[in-house]
Order: sequence, then structure tokens, then C-alpha cells
Amino acid sequence: MNKLMAAIERILALAFIGAVCLNFANVVGRYGFGRSLAGADEWQIYVMVFMAFLGAAVVSWRRQHLRMDVLVRFLPGRAQTALRFCEIALVVATAAFVVVQSWRYAAQMFAIGRTSDVGDIPMWIPHGAVTLGFALILVSVLRK
Amino acid sequence: MTFALGVLPVALLLLGFPIYLVLLTAVTVALVFYTNVPPVVLHQNLFGAIDAFALLAVPFFIYAGELMSRGSVAQRIVDFVQAGVGRVPGSLGVTTVGTSAIFGAISGASAATVATVGKAMLPAMRRAGYPEPFAAGLITAVGAIDIIIPPSIPLIVYGMAAQESVPRLYAAGVLPGLLIAGMLAAYVVWTAKRHGFERGSAFELKNFFRSLGRGVWALGAPFIILGGIYGGIFSPTEAAAVACVYAALVTWAVFRELGWADVVEAAAATVLFTGQVLIIVACASVFAWLLTVQQVPQSLVSWIQGHALSQGTVLLVINVLLLLVGCFLDPLSAILLLTPLLVPLVKALGIDTVHFGIVVTVNLAIGLFHPPFGINIFVAQSVLGLKLETIYRGIVPFIVIYLVALLVITYVPQLSLAGVRWFLL
Repeated sequence: MNKLMAAIERILALAFIGAVCLNFANVVGRYGFGRSLAGADEWQIYVMVFMAFLGAAVVSWRRQHLRMDVLVRFLPGRAQTALRFCEIALVVATAAFVVVQSWRYAAQMFAIGRTSDVGDIPMWIPHGAVTLGFALILVSVLRK
Repeated sequence: MTFALGVLPVALLLLGFPIYLVLLTAVTVALVFYTNVPPVVLHQNLFGAIDAFALLAVPFFIYAGELMSRGSVAQRIVDFVQAGVGRVPGSLGVTTVGTSAIFGAISGASAATVATVGKAMLPAMRRAGYPEPFAAGLITAVGAIDIIIPPSIPLIVYGMAAQESVPRLYAAGVLPGLLIAGMLAAYVVWTAKRHGFERGSAFELKNFFRSLGRGVWALGAPFIILGGIYGGIFSPTEAAAVACVYAALVTWAVFRELGWADVVEAAAATVLFTGQVLIIVACASVFAWLLTVQQVPQSLVSWIQGHALSQGTVLLVINVLLLLVGCFLDPLSAILLLTPLLVPLVKALGIDTVHFGIVVTVNLAIGLFHPPFGINIFVAQSVLGLKLETIYRGIVPFIVIYLVALLVITYVPQLSLAGVRWFLL
């Protein structure tokens, strides 16, 4: 799982650098050559969508999610352990719920062959990032 | 519904659950048990919240800051400011304030500024005989300016949540940021005179131009970002991307300090930050949608109107609420949780939402270094090796200065709105 998460982080980092370059190329293209790259904005946004949901899975695996845990630190050890189990149960329930809903939506996008407005990107791919991200969050919490 | 959208999230938040999970649990319970809305809206809102070009500015600005905070950029800015300050009492303290303000116009990430500027300035202040609590308090507090001076990540997130223009918010942040920097610098000079701190070396034009030459590449970033946005050349997102390329070129090709591995490592750090923050943005979007559908903000507005509270009183109550929240919650989470509730309220009272964005940000900036849990305190402790009790002792006068500035910024809206008029003619 460590290797998988490191690989996801690395791929997202490279895709992000690509998004920065794409944005910069678009600015240079607009002022230097009077034209923009078709669909460049969509590619950048969808890279960010993957960074948000798959990045959240990496954050879950490393237990680095933002939380307000200053009060809990004063609780006794047993209470903290009980809260940790509650947290796992809530992650499993809510992430499973999101996976089911977003899977249905992405599958619908796939079935009707919907593509993005300019870049002709199949829309099941960015929508599938939500499914994949929450599925990975679910697996990472259970594996941990 | 009060249980799902009120009691449950507050309880889970206090029990230390991850903020995205707090919001997701609340909306899941509301959707499953309290509404007849098709649950597919959950996916639509999660995806729709991130499917926004303007939001790309958040990871782009973080990346630019990550690149600029590695290497000698901070030291070059320190040298430039110090050469310009001359024989002012407490010149090292004034340099710390000036460097942080300039660094804030590059990165917009407060903790990074405390670490980077602190590493450059703390040893010099110690050598010059500054009392440890004073130096610790100054370094810990001054980084908070960075989320007020543009480019600011919390202002982008507020802009998204309040549906307000980011360039207008950025323009509004300039004068309040400079006001706080000016007040901090004035306090440093006053304290230095009273306690006989060092004075810098006399101003020399030759030395000034030499340090300007060394720092010109580092100082170029704010000009590109703000000049690009207000010159109508780039959108804020494009300005952020150009800043990333500029930062990579300067640190890699000009200063020859970073390699390809560092560029990728900085991108990986940005991915993690994005994963932490945007998942909250996505979940908060569903939460805000449910609040709106349930007419919670409207009920709050009616309640306030029923009590005939004045603008000033409401702003005072909101300030106290935000200061309390800011002591426990990071600025981005606080903005995402509270903006959907507070913005309809301030709009109904006729308060400008750009001005309100600055008020919110200044409040949450104070939370960044307010004892006991301000994040900058822990950064100063871990990165600079400062003792917690030393920071706590030194931070008090700086909190007072920020609170005075907050009152001025809250009750003199012209201070924020003048920037909007000047920059967006």
C-alpha cells in the first residue's frame, strides 16, 4: 500500500507539473501567437480533480487530514481508541455511500458516451476520480 | 435536520474527526434520513465544487511558494530590505517585518514564511542581543500578514465560497496588510528605542543597489503576479501558473539551487496540500448546498433582523466568533464552514462582502499565532527550536497590535475598499 500511495503521489505530481506547463503555454500562445490550446483548461481542471480525490486518499493513508484534535488530546487513552474505531466506522460508511453514488454517475456518463465540451475528454474519467478516490480512502482506512 | 446539520457536525468536530469526514457524515445523514432529494446530488456537488478553473489558483500559488521557499530567495530579500532600512532603531526587527510582507506577496502561505524568514533572521537578532521572547513573538506573529497580502490562499477560498471576485479581494487586502506591517514595524522601532536595541548600518546607495541586483529576480515575482492581474494580462489562475514557471526558472536556471528532483518534490508537497484542502472544499460544498436548500442562512438573517442588531454590533459578534474559531481551526476550514452562514447575513445588513472577506481573513490570521494552538507557534517551536513558554510570553504585544488593526479594518471599510477602487479602475 505504501508503494501504491507513493506511486499515486508521484504520478499526480508529474501531472500537476504538466498542468502548470499547459497553463503557461496557453498564456504564451495567446500573447505570442494569438491562439490558445483547445481544451487546455479542461485538462488542467481534471488534473486538479484527480489531485483532490486521489490526493485525499494519500493523505488518508498517511493520516494527515486536517482536524481539530486539540481537545481530544486531553482524553484518556481508552476514549481515544474508541473514537478511532468510530472514525473508521464513519469513514467506511460514508466512503462506501459516495463510492456507490459516484460509480452510478460515472457509469451513466460512460453509457451515454458523454465527453467534455471542448477537449472531447470522456467525462466518466474525471467523474470516476471521485469513485476511485473514495474507494482508495476506504481501502486505506481498512488496511491501516 | 437540526441534528444532522447542527448537532452532529459540531459534536464530530469537537471529538477531533477529520473535517472532511465531519461534513461528509452530516450530509450523508441528512440525505439518507431527513430529505427526499436523490442521493446522486452528493456526487454532483462533490465533483462540481472542484470543477472550477478559478480554484486552480490554490495549488498553483502553493507550488510557487514551495519553490521560492527552497534556496536563497528569502536571504536575498532580507539583504535587500536591510540595505533599504538603514540606521533605524531595531533595524533587524524592521527587516523581519519587511521581508515577511514581501515574501507574503510571493507565497501566501503563513507557516512557510515563519520557517523561512525565521531561519534567516532569528540568529542575527540573537547575535544583536534582542530579548528571546521579543524575537520569538515577532517572528511567530509577522507571518500572519501573508494570508492578508495578495496572493492569499484563504482569500481565493473565501472568493469561491462567497462567490466574490478574487482580484477585488486581492486589491482589498493590500492596504490592511500594509497597515498591519506598518504597525508592527512602528512597535519594533518604539521598543528598540526604549530598550536600546541595535541600529543598522547607515544607508548607502551603492550597497542598496548591490542588494537590489542580487534580489531583483526574487523581487520580480510579486510584480509579475500583481502586475499581471491588475494590468489585465492574466486571470489570477494564470498569474499563479506564470509565478510557478517563474519560480522554477529563477531557482533552477538563475540561482542554480534547485534541480529537477526538487521541482518534483515541491510538486508532491503541493499534491498533498491539495488533497488535504480540496476534499474539504468538495464536502463543504454539499454541506453549504444543504444549508441553502433548508433555508438555514435565511432563518439566521430573520433572527438577527428580529433582534434589530446594528451592523457594528453584528460585526463585533462575528469578530469574537471568528477569533474563537480561529484559535482551534485552520483558516481554510473555518472559511468553508462559516462563509455560507455568514455571507447572507452580512449581505442582508448591507455590509460589502469584499470588505467582509478581509475582516474574516484578518480574524483567522490572528488565530494562526494565537496561543494555545496557533499553527505558527508550533512551526516556530519545531523549525526554529524556540521554547513554547518563550513564544507565549513574547506573542502578547503582537496579538494586541493585530487586534487594534482588526478593529480599524472592521470599522473603517474604506481601508479595504480604497484598494479595490485604486487597483481596479
